[in-house]
Amino acid sequence: MSEGKAEGRRQKAEGRRQKAEVCPGSALPTRHSPPAPRHSPLRRLTLAEWDARYAELIHSGLREADYGGPLGRHVASAGDLRLRLLQFDDSAASLRLWNFLLTENQRLRQARADGLRIVGAMKDLGTVAVMAYSLPGVRAFYPDGAWWTPCLMECSDGLLRQAEGLGIDASFCPVRAMLAAFQNGEHFPRPDLLICSTGAVCDDFSAIAQRLEKIGFPIVWWEMPRRRPPEAGETAVVLPGNLRAPRIQVECVREELARLCDILAELGSGPLDEAALAGGIREANKVRRLLAALRRRVYHAPAAPLPALEMLIAEMLAIHFCSDRQETIAVLAGLLAEAEARLEQGRFAVAEEAVRIFWVNPVADLRAMNLVEDWGGRVCGSDYMFTHALDLIPEELPPLEALARTALADPMAGSTLERAARIVADCRAARAEAVVVARIPGASHCAREGALIREVVRRELGLPTLELEIPPVCDALLPALGSRLQALIETGRRGRG
Amino acid sequence: MLVFYTSPWVPAEWIAAHGLEPRGVWFAEDFALESAPLAAGICAFAQGVVRLAERQSQSAVVFTTHCDQLRRGFDAAIAQAPARLFLFNLPATWQTGVAERLFCGELERLGRFLVRLGGQGPSAENLRTVLDHYASGRRRLLQAAGSCPGRQYAEAVARFHWDGSVSLPENGAGASGAIALALVGGPLPRAQWRLLEALEGAGGRVVLDATEPGERSLGDTPPPSGLREGTTPAYDCEPALRGLARLYLANCVDVFQRPNTRLYGWLRQRLDSRGARGLVLWAHVGCDLWRAEAQSLREAFGLPLLVLDADDAAGAWPRITSRIEAFLEALR
Repeated sequence: MSEGKAEGRRQKAEGRRQKAEVCPGSALPTRHSPPAPRHSPLRRLTLAEWDARYAELIHSGLREADYGGPLGRHVASAGDLRLRLLQFDDSAASLRLWNFLLTENQRLRQARADGLRIVGAMKDLGTVAVMAYSLPGVRAFYPDGAWWTPCLMECSDGLLRQAEGLGIDASFCPVRAMLAAFQNGEHFPRPDLLICSTGAVCDDFSAIAQRLEKIGFPIVWWEMPRRRPPEAGETAVVLPGNLRAPRIQVECVREELARLCDILAELGSGPLDEAALAGGIREANKVRRLLAALRRRVYHAPAAPLPALEMLIAEMLAIHFCSDRQETIAVLAGLLAEAEARLEQGRFAVAEEAVRIFWVNPVADLRAMNLVEDWGGRVCGSDYMFTHALDLIPEELPPLEALARTALADPMAGSTLERAARIVADCRAARAEAVVVARIPGASHCAREGALIREVVRRELGLPTLELEIPPVCDALLPALGSRLQALIETGRRGRG
Repeated sequence: MLVFYTSPWVPAEWIAAHGLEPRGVWFAEDFALESAPLAAGICAFAQGVVRLAERQSQSAVVFTTHCDQLRRGFDAAIAQAPARLFLFNLPATWQTGVAERLFCGELERLGRFLVRLGGQGPSAENLRTVLDHYASGRRRLLQAAGSCPGRQYAEAVARFHWDGSVSLPENGAGASGAIALALVGGPLPRAQWRLLEALEGAGGRVVLDATEPGERSLGDTPPPSGLREGTTPAYDCEPALRGLARLYLANCVDVFQRPNTRLYGWLRQRLDSRGARGLVLWAHVGCDLWRAEAQSLREAFGLPLLVLDADDAAGAWPRITSRIEAFLEALR
């Protein structure tokens, strides 16, 4: 391709990208990109470099949402010290993503000031939020997300230490930060209503939530049965994610969700009826469709048009829309447009020769996602423990039935072997060359699941696998992490024959 | 056929009524606790159950869902012996019709599993006979609670969970002047009964054994008549089965329940009436459910609390013993 033609295409794509930034809800490109040309990967920016990039974007006419601004301000205003060590994608779409993420607590407080009611949904990761957002005047968020606060603030928040003072020590998963965040009230506002799933959920979380209730935060608990395959003679129901469960389990979850509907309706300014829920599901599916398109374009591309770190954050938006559903749609649309544009231009965040890694479980330290790319890998697929929040909610079913099926499809509510089977299928689709299982420090489910998943992956695919424990600030472990990840990447590369 | 069960909230009566032999794992002689390295985070009890399932190739094992460790232990074991392993879904909630329906559904499913193993579906009369037998055993054991020395009492209750028999020692209370202690926590299999010997040897007297296979597992409160009627949705279930589910749901007092207020109410009543002066919390490695309660137990009862790691690793017992001695010294 000649320089002139390439430049023409780049400008055309850039124009489309800028249009998406200004008009985030605009129709998305649907055609497939041409085969990827080989270019040097885009260099990620440090926080300091983003200041200059920000000025450049503003100068070129970037229009931002009201939470916009230079990234560096979050270090001073919110103490997000970790940003200083992260490396970021240089696009305006990614800037918007980061600003959206890092202003969530601020936006929640503003919502409270504006008279909106706030629901703290806990543990189910996706379903209760869809229900809450079906009501006008209600915002929902997962306080579970506070588990990243110690990372973002490099433990300067003191949340882990405070949690220890409340009886939850380092033998628990970093989600214990949530307990202290509730108590000190310095992060998210106190919700008007707390709803937590229990039963087949992580013991860490359940135990911490129970402690939370004991220190004065009443919780509405609802039962999540441990998903199992239907037995002979039982009516089988198909769940999102190509899973199956017996009818009795779906009915029980549906009844529990109906109970939650009544409770939520008392909070909102209107009834949470079928029509409202159906509307909420349609909106949630807009988010999920965008995310599915983004994951497909980025993960399946020969070289990644967006880095793993930004993709991790983007996936997280599916859980509770980062407390603003409409804006989530806009942010994801921007990222998708950016990815499309880059694919068309042959511009990539990670080189084509990088080893394709399927990543299991979220990392407590976001920096790990930078490091995997620094060391020659790229994320080509993921299971960050909430695949049920990525799958479409069936729109053809009665809303509560659809939501019950979606909730039951939670990978953490079923057998680890079922989870492993999906990982294997996704690895195949993404042509993964290696699998990393991130072990969450102290998490009870990690004691066994890593070994089980790795065994299935090795047996079914013959891929090299690695289990890595990544603490909220992993700097001290960099030499060990580096050597282990590099060994995995090297093994994956050798597998190319 | 022997059917090992791993939680006292799996109705042994239901297994026995099918003509099979329920066996609570806590009394099994070959139930060995295998301590994994601390960093692995694997509960020795759950690992012991997995190993038991591998070893007892002619028996069935009923796992439960009430904790991550057992739930995922089942995932690790199931590939080896899918036909004789069962995972019983114990609901964590207890105030709704859904909990009852789930429990009933699991009893039905367990019944089908037992029939596949060669058991016979019980007649109503047979079930009633078995229920009466177990209820009578529970009552006798409960009457002896608080007055029977801790070690013997643990053995008596574990034996009851093993074969349904009741064998209580003739002698009564422990040494006078001993410090009244309550032992709370998770599984305490026979391999760990030396804990009770250590507590008593150091000058304590266990007036309340609230470990998983202890007095807590013996509730015989009949479910309130008309329990949750009106809120329970209509579903198909044999009345006898529903009665059994209600009996267990009414008596289940455990840390995994949400909220676990019933555990605290149950403890409060007995701690007060038996004059306990200290609490000993027996928590297995990786058991988040019990470990997270340490502070809440302190706050709720205002009693000194000693947290002991249920660890059988070499060298662990001298450490446990010296901590017990120091705790009792402080209480004197």
